[in-house]
Amino acid sequence: MSQVAVNLQKSPTLLEVKNLAVEFDTYGGTVQAVRGVNFTIEQGKTLAIVGESGCGKSVTVQAMMGLIPMPPGRITSGSARLRGVEVLGRNTIDGREIRGAEIGMIFQDPMTSLNPTMTIGDQIAEPLQVHRGYSHRRAFDEAIQLLELSKIPEAAKRARQYPFEYSGGMLQRAMIAMAIACKPSILIADEPTTALDVTIQAQILDLLNDLQKETGMAIILITHDLGVVARMADEVAVMYAGKIVEHGSVDDIFYRSAHPYMLGLRAAMPTNDPSLQHELQPIAGSPPDLFSPPPGCGYCARCPYAMQVCGSAHPEDYFVGETHFSRCWLHHPDSTLKPDELYFGNMD
Amino acid sequence: MWLYILKRLIQGVITVWFIATATFFAMHNVPGDPLLNDRAMTAAIRSNVEAKYGLDKHLTTQYVIYLSNLVRGDFGISFTQENREVNDIIREHFPVSAILGILAVMFAAAGGVLWGALTALYRNRMPDYIIMFLVILGISVPSFVVAALSQLALVNFNSFAGRTVLPVAGWGTIYHMIVPAMVLGLGTMAYLTRLMRSSMLEIISSDFVRTAKAKGLPPARIFTRHQLRNAILPVVTVLGPAIAAITTGGFVVELVFAIPGLGRYFVQAVQQLDYTVIMGTTVFYGAFLVFMVIVVDVIYGLIDPRVRLK
Repeated sequence: MSQVAVNLQKSPTLLEVKNLAVEFDTYGGTVQAVRGVNFTIEQGKTLAIVGESGCGKSVTVQAMMGLIPMPPGRITSGSARLRGVEVLGRNTIDGREIRGAEIGMIFQDPMTSLNPTMTIGDQIAEPLQVHRGYSHRRAFDEAIQLLELSKIPEAAKRARQYPFEYSGGMLQRAMIAMAIACKPSILIADEPTTALDVTIQAQILDLLNDLQKETGMAIILITHDLGVVARMADEVAVMYAGKIVEHGSVDDIFYRSAHPYMLGLRAAMPTNDPSLQHELQPIAGSPPDLFSPPPGCGYCARCPYAMQVCGSAHPEDYFVGETHFSRCWLHHPDSTLKPDELYFGNMD
Repeated sequence: MWLYILKRLIQGVITVWFIATATFFAMHNVPGDPLLNDRAMTAAIRSNVEAKYGLDKHLTTQYVIYLSNLVRGDFGISFTQENREVNDIIREHFPVSAILGILAVMFAAAGGVLWGALTALYRNRMPDYIIMFLVILGISVPSFVVAALSQLALVNFNSFAGRTVLPVAGWGTIYHMIVPAMVLGLGTMAYLTRLMRSSMLEIISSDFVRTAKAKGLPPARIFTRHQLRNAILPVVTVLGPAIAAITTGGFVVELVFAIPGLGRYFVQAVQQLDYTVIMGTTVFYGAFLVFMVIVVDVIYGLIDPRVRLK
């Protein structure tokens, strides 16, 4: 596991998450939502965390933000270091608030994520008042500029309006303006376009790209939309059953998929290439029960390549490229089974 | 906003007219006769008295006279209390009921919001259990029981203190008002506490509170700026009907504490079929409540921009 960090550290690492594990106590027992997640992110880059519902991608970032309600939630192990300083369980580092100042966050549903009884401008001004000690007037002026930066027309007038007077796309722009108000070094976008229609999605993604170029912030993008990943990400971490099963550059993930799960996802993806007349192949079965996670690989039960060892022992991260690893026994150096489609430049 | 208030006031006038009409015809359909008491009355006296009160005229004529008097603010004179104007009765006794009612509503609203928010913040912990138990008591125990028990407590407390800290009954000073207002507002407070609790619980787990946390706001600011203002909306909604319940329900408490409020006349008049007093107090109460509901709606608009601007 430690190999990963070393190998990925080409430019200065901004955030390093190591062995993060989160559990939730429920009436049915303890759910191990996140089971040892590692990733790093560099300044100005975009990391996409992809995976299906319930794989732990949102919980991972909420743990970093301290947004997990405890109880019932519990961070059982791991660390998250921002420029080398631990953030888990802390509110500030080097005198700067983590939430809202160092790390900004936007959410899935902009319609419900803003306070309905407060003007947009006041809501954007709030982090500036709290973290920077601005007066209300100064913070509100700055909020208008932030709205302009987020490409909201007539920002001065719009800042005095309430969320119900905005459209969904505009609300998400306002959310972004609010999240970047204190110039965070990382912006976490938790499924930012899921609730929006496709044309608005594209505009929001463009806006995020533009803002990233302007401010040099890193973006952690959580999504289950591979189209969004292809458009936005520099690096991709594929999560399954609380673990990252494959991690690499966006090209590695899409063109040299190594993990059978990612291969399955690609087979289930529609294409607009008319020469490819293949049917979409759903992945059979369902994810494992995280109340009692399987002793081996989480994907074993659904995996067409499953071997005996897969059901009994956890695979490690095996490198299949310089910065590209797969957590699959097939890529163990001693593995004799090496299916062509899972090895390097497999599909076009 | 002004247009909205004007619209509501016009609606209010229509409501009051409806109340007045319904009361008028309901009264005249009740079996019995306001002049029918144990004193013997000859036909001649009876027709004289009927003429005095206009009862000899046709019902529609009476209705027209009644309405035109109403518009001029004249409720007529009492049937049972010789030559006493209904307006005088209201003028003398309504302020007492109103002060008691308003104090009770303020007590109920402040307590309900406070306790409700507290139980939600301490959900499923000791403060929540204790307050919710008391709330069940407050809702189920009728006000005359609470009134009597609180009087007993006052007697014991005063004798323990060796002087009259708070009077047991009567009216006049602020000290006379405190305990009756609390007793009168108790049931409503318990109800509002439950309402506030469920509304607050919903707000606590809402997306925008999560956003506020992600912005790094301190808990106190999240509570005042984001949670309270949104959670209070359902409470404000029922405040109108709550004022109605408290002011009209004040009769029992007024009786137990010997408070000279309007409630007593209201009930007495119904028992004695005192047409003018029944109609006068009913229409007056009705108009008062309609007005309070409009005030509450305006307050609601001030709190929730979605109502104000639409």
